[in-house]
Amino acid sequence: MFASFRLSMTWMHTWLGLVLGYVLMICFFFGALSVFDREIDRWAIPETRFEPQTLPSFDTLLLPIFERMQPSKESLAQASARIGGKTPQHTSAAGFGAYTTHRDPVLSLFTEYHVTNNPNDPHDHVFGNTTIDPRTGRQLRDDQLKIGSQFFYPLHFSLHLEWLEIGYWLVGIAALVMLAALVSGVVIHRKIFRELFTFRPRKQAQRSALDLHNLTGVVGLPFHFFFALTGLIVFAGIYFPVAHTMLEPVHELHEQRELAAKGLAFEPAGVPAPLASVDAMVAEAKRRWAARGMSGEVGFLSVAHVGDANSYVSVYRAGTDRVTLTGQGIHFKGTTGEVMFEEPPPSTIEGITDFLTGLHLQHFRHWLLRWLYVMGGLAGCACIATGFIFFVEKRKRQHAKTGVSGARWVDAMATTAVTGMVIATVAMLVGNRLLPAELAGRGAWEERIFWFAWLAALLHATWRSAPVQQARISPAWREQCWMIAALCVAAPLLNWITTGDHLIKTLGEGYWPVAGMDLALLASAVIAVLAAGKLRLREMGVARPSATSTDAEAAHA
Amino acid sequence: MRDSLLLAGGLLTGITGFAWLALAMDVHWRQVRANVAAGLAAKRKLRFLGGLAIAASLGLCLAVDHPTMAALVWLMILAVSVLTVTFTLTWRPRWLSPLVVWIPNG
Repeated sequence: MFASFRLSMTWMHTWLGLVLGYVLMICFFFGALSVFDREIDRWAIPETRFEPQTLPSFDTLLLPIFERMQPSKESLAQASARIGGKTPQHTSAAGFGAYTTHRDPVLSLFTEYHVTNNPNDPHDHVFGNTTIDPRTGRQLRDDQLKIGSQFFYPLHFSLHLEWLEIGYWLVGIAALVMLAALVSGVVIHRKIFRELFTFRPRKQAQRSALDLHNLTGVVGLPFHFFFALTGLIVFAGIYFPVAHTMLEPVHELHEQRELAAKGLAFEPAGVPAPLASVDAMVAEAKRRWAARGMSGEVGFLSVAHVGDANSYVSVYRAGTDRVTLTGQGIHFKGTTGEVMFEEPPPSTIEGITDFLTGLHLQHFRHWLLRWLYVMGGLAGCACIATGFIFFVEKRKRQHAKTGVSGARWVDAMATTAVTGMVIATVAMLVGNRLLPAELAGRGAWEERIFWFAWLAALLHATWRSAPVQQARISPAWREQCWMIAALCVAAPLLNWITTGDHLIKTLGEGYWPVAGMDLALLASAVIAVLAAGKLRLREMGVARPSATSTDAEAAHA
Repeated sequence: MRDSLLLAGGLLTGITGFAWLALAMDVHWRQVRANVAAGLAAKRKLRFLGGLAIAASLGLCLAVDHPTMAALVWLMILAVSVLTVTFTLTWRPRWLSPLVVWIPNG
């Protein structure tokens, strides 16, 4: 079909990259934002702007809240769908869970209830969740959206397309294509080392775009490769759902055996029994971690078979100083508080899995590495965006001559995927500060603003892209840059007006979650204005690419 | 504080290392020292120093964190270093000249 292996790789790189590049753009951009999801949450929910807290007393503060909690409406609706529309009957809470990280001022609580009227699945469950202020136990309103951890973060792996989990599958295919694009990119690129340090912005757009595409692709190669790969590993259970299809009986048996090996009960005994002091268990867990030279705080705590003689409490350490997530679990007998099982150090295989998922999920305390990850994610975005631009630049003159409109549509989609995506993101933050505080279903309105802003960007880009048909630059790029700049200035201003937290105050107090967000927004505004200026010059033809090149450029040509 | 300084050192040695590797290439050498070619011996020295500085960067990362974490930090520092060197060569190549001030002209 192709004259050479390289040509076939070029074909694959071009077309798979074009089709799935739009999905990858979402993964990389919102993945980069997710590095600071907790900080975005603080910006979006001003009442949670206080220092991160450790796990509060379980016995006095958490237990009464757990006992008051009820299954969520969504969970009940899903269960109702599973049992043919009947109202699910459920027990009182059978399981509790509390989860926090070193960046969380608020604490997430989960509860689990048995569904008693599902004849097809005797182990069917419904769940409850809430977020509390751990200093007082006050519950936060559940219609407020944690924009970082509940919207941007899931967007980067599920696209918020819940139907048939189609979003997860699209992202999984895109990640696989990313791996193929990286390998084929290396095959196509003949001068990886010779042109490693090369960027020639004064050359034609096609050449400079390719320079930047190669540069960001090559320097980001390890990052892009490992994040696409580990992303697939994190969701391996969705992409290879054997545990709940072909191998369901084996899976169930393995769970039972695993618990039995630790002396933990898979089923409740059916005999009511009270829960001993969990605070004492937490203190014992901390003592044992310290004895192993790994002192630290609790990251995850769960109680299974609540109120039963077989109940047990599992306490996991927050993994702040290692790449791996929570670990060093210690399990206690719920009724007495005696240690039943202390998990040994992970085996080599478990260690590798923990490392690979941990490097992607990044719960560690390392601010430099967090920023480096953001840089890696944005380099990925730059790589994909320049890929689009190269595609258009390479074809638009030819398409203009022959009257084909392909380049125009790709350009409009690229504008939507690059500047349009940023507009939607910042519009959501602006909306978050403008919507009335007492508005019911506030979070749902913020989501609507996001999607409608993005749709508006798509319509605008399509409407303004006609000049591409004449081999010129679409003014949509420049106009959307101005929109970004305006929104990025409006967001910190509105934050100041509505909360009183202006930059001088937050910087003075060293409150980085909000100061960092404001500074990042203002920096984005500056970049958008500079980009708009450059685009204007290019549109007017002032910065016409020079025919004469410097010595350095001539040497490359 | 100690950790921040060591990590800053890791970043600085990474950038310096890649700058030396870039300057060992004729194209980039000419961006810094117009019209004067670097000798073969000078190029070899630059490559050796570049490698050494990048290794030092890894050493500094290892001095701060657990090796699993240090490996990630170092890899990402290398990426930032190449980007920094490339954009410096694009817009302000002369800023790199102090790095080769010890190599005589001609």
